[in-house]
Amino acid sequence: MARPVIDIRGIHRIFESDAGFAHVLHNITFSVRPGEFVAITGPSGSGKSTLMNILGCLDTPTSGTYLLEGLNVAELVDDELAEVRATRIGFVFQSFNLLPRMSVLDNVMLPLAYTQAPRFQREMMAVHALQAVGLPVDHYDHRTNELSGGQMQRVAIARALVNDPAIILADEPTGNLDSHTGRMVLETFHKLKDTGKTIVLITHDSHVAAEADRIVSIRDGRLYHEDTSGIISTTGGGR
Amino acid sequence: MNARDLLREAVRALEANKGRSLLTILGIVIGIASVIAMTSLIGGVRNNLVSGLGLNAARLVYISAASTMNQDTVDDLKAVMPSYEAIEGTAMSYTQKKVNDKDISISITGASNQYYEMTGQLKLVEGRLFSQQEESADARVCIIERNGIKMLFGDPQASVVGRTVELDGRDYLIVGVSESQYPSEDYMQAYFPMGTVLNDFNQGDEYLSQVIGLVREGEDVDAVMSETITKLATIMGYSEDEAQDMIYCYSMKSSIDSLNSFMMSFQLIMGAVAGISLLVGGIGIMNMMLTNVTERIREIGIRRALGATRRDITAQFLTESAALCVTGGIIGTIAGFAIAWGLATVASSMDLTSSMGTSGVITPLISPQTILLAVGLSIGIGLVFGYYPARRAAKLDPVECLRYQ
Repeated sequence: MARPVIDIRGIHRIFESDAGFAHVLHNITFSVRPGEFVAITGPSGSGKSTLMNILGCLDTPTSGTYLLEGLNVAELVDDELAEVRATRIGFVFQSFNLLPRMSVLDNVMLPLAYTQAPRFQREMMAVHALQAVGLPVDHYDHRTNELSGGQMQRVAIARALVNDPAIILADEPTGNLDSHTGRMVLETFHKLKDTGKTIVLITHDSHVAAEADRIVSIRDGRLYHEDTSGIISTTGGGR
Repeated sequence: MNARDLLREAVRALEANKGRSLLTILGIVIGIASVIAMTSLIGGVRNNLVSGLGLNAARLVYISAASTMNQDTVDDLKAVMPSYEAIEGTAMSYTQKKVNDKDISISITGASNQYYEMTGQLKLVEGRLFSQQEESADARVCIIERNGIKMLFGDPQASVVGRTVELDGRDYLIVGVSESQYPSEDYMQAYFPMGTVLNDFNQGDEYLSQVIGLVREGEDVDAVMSETITKLATIMGYSEDEAQDMIYCYSMKSSIDSLNSFMMSFQLIMGAVAGISLLVGGIGIMNMMLTNVTERIREIGIRRALGATRRDITAQFLTESAALCVTGGIIGTIAGFAIAWGLATVASSMDLTSSMGTSGVITPLISPQTILLAVGLSIGIGLVFGYYPARRAAKLDPVECLRYQ
């Protein structure tokens, strides 16, 4: 069996503040296979965003291991984590998080500015990514605030793809879209999955979660596994 | 991020807030303009003095006496004053010449080549100085000023070296042309060997109009002047009491020292203005960059999520700060030169340096060093005052930034 792309074991995340300690994640263990489409669901405050931040190397766990394509990212320092984010992870955010001062093409090229790729190569890669999400060529020079919500999310997906990442992490990607546009975005994810991309998607919407190969739900910082037939198992399943 | 990308991002950021950027850099503009105006104006004044007075100006001593001096007096003084590198006399006269019904006034100066070289009075543009043979033979040769060409020959572009000019019924061979000290339509200067003037224009009178000494480098000019009075009094037969009344020495040094002192005061004042402006400007830059950081917290989070390191964020904001200051520096440099030109024009019209024997026209000095100073200062201010906001931006937690509304 192929090595998991994501393999996290015994992850705990505890936040310290003046008010005391907040134990947000408890002994999280799960893995994602290459090419799998996994949805993480849970109510507000369940810890899913914290888990997403750890998966995306924006945060480090208090304890436990996190192997991303075999690399133990839990032990990396800040600059190393930045490099992992630039080369192995693609983010898609709920509110798109595109830079309004920049054109569509410049937004998609942005992750590559933090690699050694020369500019002409970056432009080529950005154009390929935009073609993959089906954005018309005449939109490439537009400012992102001139686009519709669906188009902006497609640009955001192209930006997530441009560095050919190991995983795409999508945080409520359809949250700010109408149902029709949201459907289009999910179809884009399916197309990417068909090309072999590994996708981890956070959503509170059960209909969106049902699009995934596998659902994991998180409640009170603990993980529960469900497959698409509705069978629930606790932490440790899904491999 | 590479340098080109950083610059591109910086320009994009400045363009997004043109009005605010312009207001912020005002302090930098004023500070740099002050520095440029001061250095280029002072450089221009110094150049004016050096070109007008010659490099030796501070070491020249003008010697005059109640009774007249001749070449023997000069030779006797040379023998007892080793502190002088050279002592030369000059004989002056005056004549008029009618050319095409127009009267031309000609000031006649007779002196040795050494006199002309040590005073820098004669700036050759064509031809040569007198030969030793011509000096010894009191030859009828001369050097005329450039403005005299048109007056004497009708065509200002005429080539006159090798031609003759008739003065007081005598023909003089023109061997050289010099810059015009005081350009005029009906007045010119002509230079001759000393003996030629004494014989032809002063009716054989041996007496010198002026004696000038060049003090050796390292000697105290004031002490040499004092000694000159004493020694010359002895040579001319004056008593100690009479010496101070009968013999007078003057040096440009005191005037130059006064001017230097004035320029230093001017420099201090302008430097204070520049320093305060740059400090205020720098604080304004820091304030604007801190505001930028706050406004772009979410952008910082996005960039960090996409792979920017803390160093990338620091470099980005530092580049923006430096670009802002360099823009201010460029505007300030242009404004500074304009101010210098304006002040130079006013000073020239007031003829401030003519009392020191130079032409009143002052040209501000525009040198690569001055421009480099402006650019260097601008970049330095941008980096110093932009560092704190840049580090603040870099230390922000990306998760918190992405949550920021």
